[in-house]
Amino acid sequence: MGVRSGGLQRKSKAATEIPSSSMADIAFLLLIFFMVSTVFQSDKNRDIEWAQAQAIEKIDKKQKDILNVWVERTGAVYMNDVQFPMDEVADVVFPISVANRELVVSIRSDRNTPYHFIDQLQKELQAAGALKVMFAAELENTMTRQRR
Amino acid sequence: MAVLGNKKSKVSDEIPSSSMADIAFLLLIFFLVTTTFPKDKGLQLVLPEQGETQEVSANNVLHILVQPTGQVGVRRGESQQEQQVRADALTSIWRQAVGENPSLIASVNTHPDAPYRLMMDVLDALQAAGADRISLNLLEE
Repeated sequence: MGVRSGGLQRKSKAATEIPSSSMADIAFLLLIFFMVSTVFQSDKNRDIEWAQAQAIEKIDKKQKDILNVWVERTGAVYMNDVQFPMDEVADVVFPISVANRELVVSIRSDRNTPYHFIDQLQKELQAAGALKVMFAAELENTMTRQRR
Repeated sequence: MAVLGNKKSKVSDEIPSSSMADIAFLLLIFFLVTTTFPKDKGLQLVLPEQGETQEVSANNVLHILVQPTGQVGVRRGESQQEQQVRADALTSIWRQAVGENPSLIASVNTHPDAPYRLMMDVLDALQAAGADRISLNLLEE
């Protein structure tokens, strides 16, 4: 009897408090869930050196309204990790720009790309009706150059 | 004394697991708050529509010629005189020129072989001066 009552007492003691040891597991589960489900920019960075500028603005658009066009030093054009010939850019961009009037084309080019590639790209974008462009650049370090 | 010692050893027997949840939530909230997604940065510009050509008076155009060597030449209106400047200096040149003529248009003519960054320097200087009427062209020889 004495042993039994002791057992009963123990049981009731356990039921009075909420088990808090599993809370950590729940929190870590959430942490891992958010870490895994976060999707970063889908296309990988090309081997380019950014152009530098000081008057840059941050583009306040959703990721779906931005089309990244990469132009390498050799004039190779990449969109969504696929290389396109320069004269097909208009055909590719046209349906996208028609479907999304808010589209901003972000031109990501190496700083040493000969300018005629960029000019050609602009003409292709004009033909596709994608008129809002952004010349992607990184912020110039003001220490290296005298401030304007 | 003996009783006190007994109690102490009982407490330190197990690691308190109830605060683990707090630590985990703290981490979760810390990462949620500090995560910033890199926003795209750059110089924005609206291209003219295709085939859209506007006749502008030659007096309203500030020609900027970008050579592959990095030289930047400025030609005002109809005059043939070309002034060699640094790209940085365009900010003050534009401010002064647009003060004299508010309907001024900057025409940036870049040599086909000039590196992209030279054009960017010029565009940067113009946008730093608040220029919004900018036309980008290829420099024809």
